[in-house]
Amino acid sequence: MPPDAPHDPPDGPAPAADASTSTPPGTGPAAVASAVALAPRPNGIEVTGLRRAFGTVKALDGADLVARAGAVTALVGPNGSGKTTLLLVLAGLLVPDSGQVRVAGHDPVTDNAGARARTGWMPDSFGTWDSLTAREVLATFADAYRVDRATASARIDELLATVHLTEYADQPAAVLSRGQKQRLGLARALVHDPQVLLLDEPASGLDPRSRVDLRILLRRLADEGRTVLVSSHVLSELDEMADDAVFLSRGRTVAGMSEADVATGRRTWQVRSLSLEALTSWLDSTGTAYRPDGATRLADAAAGTVGAGGVLVDVDGETGAVALLRDAVTAGVPVVSSAPAAGALEQAYLALEEERR
Amino acid sequence: MTATTTTPTPVPGTTPRVGTWTVTWHGVRTVAALELRQRVRSSRWKTALIVWFVVVGAITLLAGGVLTIFDDSAVRSDQAGAVLFVVVTALVLGLGLLVTPTLASTAVNGDRSAGTLATLQVTLLSPAEIAAGKLLAAWLSACAFLVVSLPFFAIALAMGGVPVATLPRVVVLIALLLAAVCGMGLGWSTLAARPAGSTVLTFVTVAALTVFTPVFFGLTYPFLSTTEDVQVYGVPDSYWMETDDETGMPTAPPVCELSVQERSVARTERTWWLLAINPFAVVADGAVPASATTYDDSPAGAVGSATQALRDLRLGEPEVLDECWSDEGTSDVIPVRDGAGPVWPVGLAVNLLLGAAGFVVAVRRLRIPQRTLARGTRVA
Repeated sequence: MPPDAPHDPPDGPAPAADASTSTPPGTGPAAVASAVALAPRPNGIEVTGLRRAFGTVKALDGADLVARAGAVTALVGPNGSGKTTLLLVLAGLLVPDSGQVRVAGHDPVTDNAGARARTGWMPDSFGTWDSLTAREVLATFADAYRVDRATASARIDELLATVHLTEYADQPAAVLSRGQKQRLGLARALVHDPQVLLLDEPASGLDPRSRVDLRILLRRLADEGRTVLVSSHVLSELDEMADDAVFLSRGRTVAGMSEADVATGRRTWQVRSLSLEALTSWLDSTGTAYRPDGATRLADAAAGTVGAGGVLVDVDGETGAVALLRDAVTAGVPVVSSAPAAGALEQAYLALEEERR
Repeated sequence: MTATTTTPTPVPGTTPRVGTWTVTWHGVRTVAALELRQRVRSSRWKTALIVWFVVVGAITLLAGGVLTIFDDSAVRSDQAGAVLFVVVTALVLGLGLLVTPTLASTAVNGDRSAGTLATLQVTLLSPAEIAAGKLLAAWLSACAFLVVSLPFFAIALAMGGVPVATLPRVVVLIALLLAAVCGMGLGWSTLAARPAGSTVLTFVTVAALTVFTPVFFGLTYPFLSTTEDVQVYGVPDSYWMETDDETGMPTAPPVCELSVQERSVARTERTWWLLAINPFAVVADGAVPASATTYDDSPAGAVGSATQALRDLRLGEPEVLDECWSDEGTSDVIPVRDGAGPVWPVGLAVNLLLGAAGFVVAVRRLRIPQRTLARGTRVA
C-alpha cells in the first residue's frame, strides 16, 4: 500500500455497514481512492474493485490491492475473508464478476496466457504426482511453461538446491514429507522464473529452519525485482518478511500498511524491569498508562513478592519507544528489555477485529 | 537459503500464443508423459496387465482345447481356428470395453480432487493440450491391453481358417473403439464432480452402446411391424396337397412361383442403426472384407451371416420375399438387393463422434479463467 494509505481503519469502509449496500466500482471508499491514484507499475499487481460471488456468498466484495514490484506484500485476513479467491483470480483461474486486475501489466481475464506466463502460483493445498521424482515434477512443469531444455535442467538443479531437496531429487514424491512437498511446490512455482509470485499459505507444514529459509528466499526474490504476494494467518511470520500488508475482511480491503506506518503507528511495547515495583511507580509518577503483560500479577508486584516483571505500554511509533526507554533508564529504573509486545501486523489485525465488534 | 545467483530474466516481450484450441506436440507429449509415468509406475497397473494376460490366455487356451476335443478330425482345424478367433476378438473387445472406462473417466476430476489439476492449468499448456494429453495417455494404456492380447490372436490365426488380413482390421477397429470410449470417459470426467460418478456414467454409456442397443432394437421391433400384403416367391401351398399315399411325400417336384400373401413386415430401416452402433457389430462387420463373407453353418460362419443380416435390416423388408428353398438360382425373379453395403463405417463413425464430443466437452470445461464452478468443486 502507498505510504499515505491510512493505517487506522476508520478511513476504510465499516465492513458490516457497507457489505450490504453494493457500491458501484470506482466509487469505493477512501482507501480505494488512494490505491487507484497510484501510478501504474508494470511488474506489480493492481486490483481495483474486485467482486466475485459464489452463489449468494460474496467471496470478494470490492477488494483493492496494489503489490509493488521488488517488495513482499502480505495478504492478511481471517478465514473466509476472500484471500484464496483473490489469489485464484490473480492466478488466472477465476473470472471476477467485476473489477480490474493487472498482473505484471497483463489482465488475467483478457490476456490469460500473458499473465500466466509471468505468474508463479502456489496454492494453499495441492497434490503431487506421487510416482514422479522431484526432478521429474520440476522438469514436467518446465516443459509445461515451455522453458527450453538446456535452461530448464540448470534451473531445476539450482531450484532443488534452493529448497534443499537435492538429496531427494530422484526419490518419488510419495516419500517426501508434508514440508518437503511444500518446498517442492514452491520450487515448482519458480520454475519458469516468474515476475510475480502468488503464495497461498506457503509456510504451513514447514519446520522452523525451512520457515527461515523461506523468508530469506522471498526476501531475495523481492530484492531481484519480483512482486511477491504472500497470504498467511501466521502474522509473526509475515511480520518478519513483508514490506507492505493488505488487510482483507469479508471480501474487502479494509486497510493497508507499509513500513512507514509500522515506524509511526501507535503500538504496544513490552517493558521488562528487574524491579517491577520501581518500573510501575516510575510509570505512575510520569502519568503513563500501562497494563500488566500477563506474565506478572500487579498485585504481587505491589506486595513486593515479585522482583522482576514487565508491563505493556502504548507508545507513538518507534520514536515514542526510544523516548520511553531513555526516560526510564535516566530515572534509574533497572530496565532489562523494551520491545514490541506483538508483531506490527498482529496489532493492526487485532485492532481491526476490535473495530468490528 | 543457499546462495544462488539468479538474475531475473527480463520480461519477455512476446508471450507464446496459447488459445483454448492451441495444440502443439510438445504440450500434448508433456501431459501424456506425466500421465503415463504416474500410471505406469503404480503396481496396480502392472497387476492389471498381468491379470488381463492370464484371463485372456486362459480362456483362449481353454476354448482352443474344447474346440479340438469336439472336432477331432484334423480337417476341421480351419473351423476351430475361425471359432477361436471369434472368441478371442469378442473377449478382448468385451474386456477392453470394461477396462477402458476406468482409464479415462477419472482423468480430470481425479486430478482435481488430488489437487494437481489447477497447477497444470495455470501453466502455458492450452486446455486442448491437457485434454489431448490425457486422452492419448488413456488410449495408449488401453492399447497396452490390446498388445498383451496379440499372442492369443496369433494362436487363433495359426490354427487357420481366418485370412491373415483380418487381424490388422480387428486390432485397428478395437483400438479406434477404445479411443472413442476414452473420449467419452474424458468428457464425463469433466462433467461429473466425483471420479466415481464419471466412471459410472462412462460405464452406462458403454453399456448403452453394447447392451441397450440390441434391447431397444428388440423392444421396438413389434411397433415397427405391420401386416401387409407382400409378394412371396416360394413353393405354393398346393404342392403340399398332392402327396403320395405310401411315402407321404409330395408327388410333384417343387416349383416356386410368385404369390401375394399377408405377412408381418417390420420397418427395420428405421432402427437398424441401433444394432450398427454396437461396438461388437462394428468389429464383426468390419473384420471381414465384404467379398470374403461366407455362409457356412459353422459358428464362425454365423458371424458372417449375422452381419449380412444386419446389412439387410438397413434396407428394411425386400420387395419380394425369397422363400424358395428348392431352387438356388432365384436372381431372375427376385431383384438383386444392392446398396446394402457394410454398416461398420456408420457404427464406427457414431462411436468416434461420441468420443470426439467427450473431448470437446473436456476442452471447454478445462478453459480458464473459469466463470462458473461445478457444484461442490474447488478450483485448486
